[in-house]
Amino acid sequence: MDQIVDLYLSDQTVRTKWEKFLIKLGLHDFSSREVDVIDHTLGIINDEGELVGTGSVAGNVLKYIAVCNRGATPGSRFNQMVTALQQYQFNRKIFHNFVFTKTQYSTSFQHLGFTELAHTDVAAFLESGTPDVNDYLATIPQVEGKKDKKVAAIVMNANPFTLGHQRLAQLASQENDLVYIFVVATDASLFKTEERMQLVKNGTADLKNVHVVSGSDYLVSQATFPAYFLKSPDDLIKTQTTIDARVFKNIIAPKLAISRRYLGTEPFSHTTNFYNKSLINELSPQIEVKIVPRFSNDDQVITATKVRQLIKTGDLAAIKLLVPNITMDFIKSNQKVLQTRIQKGMNINGN
Amino acid sequence: MEIKTIGVAGTLESSDIQIMISKGNDGIQIDLDSEVIKAYGDQIKKVITDTLEKFGISNAKVKATDKGALDCVIAARTLAAAQRATETTDKPELEVLQ
Amino acid sequence: MTYVKNRLRRTMMFVPGNNPAMVKDAGIYGADSIMLDLEDAVSLTEKDAARMLVYNAIKHVDFGGAEIVVRINGQDTPFYDEDVKAMVKAGVDVIRLPKTESAEMIQKLVKDMEKAEEEYGVEKGSIGVMAAIESAKGVLNTPTIATATPLMMGLAVSGEDYTADMHTHRYPDGRELEFARNMVLQSARAADVYAFDTVFSNMKDTEGFYRETRYIYELGYDGKSLVNPRQIPMVNDVFNPTKEEIENAKNVQNAIREAKAKGSGVISMNGKMVDKPVVAKANRVIETAKASNLIDEEGNYIGE
Repeated sequence: MDQIVDLYLSDQTVRTKWEKFLIKLGLHDFSSREVDVIDHTLGIINDEGELVGTGSVAGNVLKYIAVCNRGATPGSRFNQMVTALQQYQFNRKIFHNFVFTKTQYSTSFQHLGFTELAHTDVAAFLESGTPDVNDYLATIPQVEGKKDKKVAAIVMNANPFTLGHQRLAQLASQENDLVYIFVVATDASLFKTEERMQLVKNGTADLKNVHVVSGSDYLVSQATFPAYFLKSPDDLIKTQTTIDARVFKNIIAPKLAISRRYLGTEPFSHTTNFYNKSLINELSPQIEVKIVPRFSNDDQVITATKVRQLIKTGDLAAIKLLVPNITMDFIKSNQKVLQTRIQKGMNINGN
Repeated sequence: MEIKTIGVAGTLESSDIQIMISKGNDGIQIDLDSEVIKAYGDQIKKVITDTLEKFGISNAKVKATDKGALDCVIAARTLAAAQRATETTDKPELEVLQ
Repeated sequence: MTYVKNRLRRTMMFVPGNNPAMVKDAGIYGADSIMLDLEDAVSLTEKDAARMLVYNAIKHVDFGGAEIVVRINGQDTPFYDEDVKAMVKAGVDVIRLPKTESAEMIQKLVKDMEKAEEEYGVEKGSIGVMAAIESAKGVLNTPTIATATPLMMGLAVSGEDYTADMHTHRYPDGRELEFARNMVLQSARAADVYAFDTVFSNMKDTEGFYRETRYIYELGYDGKSLVNPRQIPMVNDVFNPTKEEIENAKNVQNAIREAKAKGSGVISMNGKMVDKPVVAKANRVIETAKASNLIDEEGNYIGE
C-alpha cells in the first residue's frame, strides 16, 4: 500500500530524488525564489519504495504537487496527497489554503472542494477552507443602496502612506459616493502590514466616505505568486497581474458594487506601468479605470520608494515634504527600528 | 458547546467526507460539495445537522466535501470535527453516534 | 457480536482504521477475521477521528460474518484508555494489544475492559483479547502471556518490530523469525489459544508468500496476518485440507456419532481409541472444508 512520508529537502539526496521526480512530470523550476519559501514537503512511496507523488506547502499555499498514476486508481494519489498536505496545514492551524496551478488541473482541485477564484490560459488560482472569499467580503462594510451609488476602489501597499496616497484618496473621495482602499496584506515590505494599515486609516480618517480594508489574500502580489509551473519566468508578471485583475473584477468588485478603480502612474517603475496596462486591459469596460498622475511637492514627484531611501539616510527634513504628519510622526518615533530593518536586508527599492 | 477554533476531520479520499466546522451565528449552515448532491444532498446534510445538534452545537458554519461517504462515516467525521472545533477531543462523546 | 473462543481464523486482514473506503469494503473478501487498526496505520494527529470511524463502522458496517478485531494503541500511549472504552462500547469481538511484553499488561487490559463493560452495560467477558508479540521480551514471556486470562483468544507474531528489536530485519527465508515463531506457537498450543503468523508485505513475491504460508501452516499455525485482500485465497489454498484429511475427519465424526448413539463413553475407530486432539483436529478440518466449499451440506467431497 502507498505510504505518505516526510521529505526533507535540506538533505541533498532527498532533494535530488524529488527534483528528478518532478522533472519527469514536467516541472523544471527549482529556483530559490520558489523552493526557499517551502515550509514542508511530503511524498508518496509505493510498495517498491519508489517516490510516486509529492506536494509541498509554503505558508498558506500548496505547491509542487505532482503524482504518478502508474499502478494506482487515477486520481487516488492526487487526493491522497492533497489530503495529506491539508492535514499538515490543519495541524499547524492553517485552515484556509490556496493553490496556483496549471489551468488544466483546476478541475482536479475543484473535485476536492477547492473553489476557483480566477484563471488565465495558463494558470488558475483556487482556494479551499475557512474563512473563504465570501467570508472576507462579508467583513467589508457596505452601504445601503450601493447599486445606485458611485463606488470606487484604490489598491495600495502604502509603504509608507505618502502625501501622494493621501491626495489620491481625497480625489477619489470627492468624485465618488464611497471609496474602498484595499491595503496589500503581504508582509514583505519595510513597513509591516499592520503599520501600513494603521497609517492609511489614520491618514484618511477625515474622509467619511472612505473605508480602509485589508486586501487579505485576494490581492495577488508578485511577491507571493508562484511561477514554478509556468513555461517561462517571463510569464510571471503577465499571469500574476491578469489573475489579480480577474479576482478583483469578477469577485470583489461585483459584491461591493465597485465601478471604478483609481491608479497612480508610476514614472519610474517599469513593473507598475506594465501592471497598470494589464489592469486597464482586464478591467475595462466593466470597471472604469482612472489613471491619476503622480502628485508632486516642490516639483518633486512623491513616491514611497523615495521616502524609504530617505529613511535609510536619515533625512527627516526631506521626508517631511513627502508624507502627511501622521506618517511623519510614525517615522520619527520608529526611525531606529526602520533603519535596523533596512540594515537587516529589507529590500527598499521594490514597491 | 462553544466553538473555539476551526475543526476539520476526514479526508478527500474515496468513500470519505471532509468536514470543516467554524463559528456561526445563524443556525447550522452547511456548504456541501458532493458528486451525489442531487440524490443524497439532503440526507448528508441531515446526518451532519443531527450529529451536531446531538453534540450540542446549534450554530456553526460547516464546509463538507463528500467523496461518497456512508452515513456512519459522515457522522463519525462530523463528531471528530466538532470535538476538534470545541477543543474537547480528549473526551470523545461516542453517545452522539447512533 | 460476541466473542467466540473457537472458530476458523486462517486469515486476519489488516485494515487501516482511518480509511473509510477500505473499512467499508473489508467484509467482501471473505477474511475470517478483520483487524481494524488504530495503531500503526493511523498517524498521531488522526487517532481521535480514526477511533470514531472504527467505532461507527463496527456498529453499522456489514463485515459479512467476519470476526472483528481492533488493534488499539499501546498502553504507553495517551490513546490507549479511550481506545479501550470506545471499542468495548462498540461491542468489538476481540481487542488486540500491541507490544505485549508481560501477562500484567494483558491483565491490565482485561481490567480496563471490565470497567468499560460495567460503564456501558456490556456483558462481562463478551469481548476477547489477543496479544501481539513484538519484542524479545514479549517472546520470552509468551507462556505467561498466553495464560494471562481466560479471555485470551490468541498470540500473534509481529515480524517488523520484533526483528528490529533483535537488531536484524526481515529476510526472505525467515530464519530470523524461527525462534519467535516456534516460541509463540508452543506457548499458544500449551495454553490452548490461537497462533497467528506475521504479515508478508511484498505483494509482488507470490512465490515467497506461498512458501512462507506453507511453512507456518506446517509448523501448526492457525492463521496468518494479511495486508492485502489478494492474499486471502492464497492462504485459504494452503490451509485447505486434502481429500484424504477430509475423509479421515468424516470417519472420526462418524465414530463419535456412533459412540454417542450407543451411549458409549469411549470413542474408537479402526480398533484404536480416538482422543481429544484427534477429535479437535477432525472438527477443524471439517470446518475449514466447509468454509472453503470443499464439501456439500451432507459432507460429500466436492473439491477438485
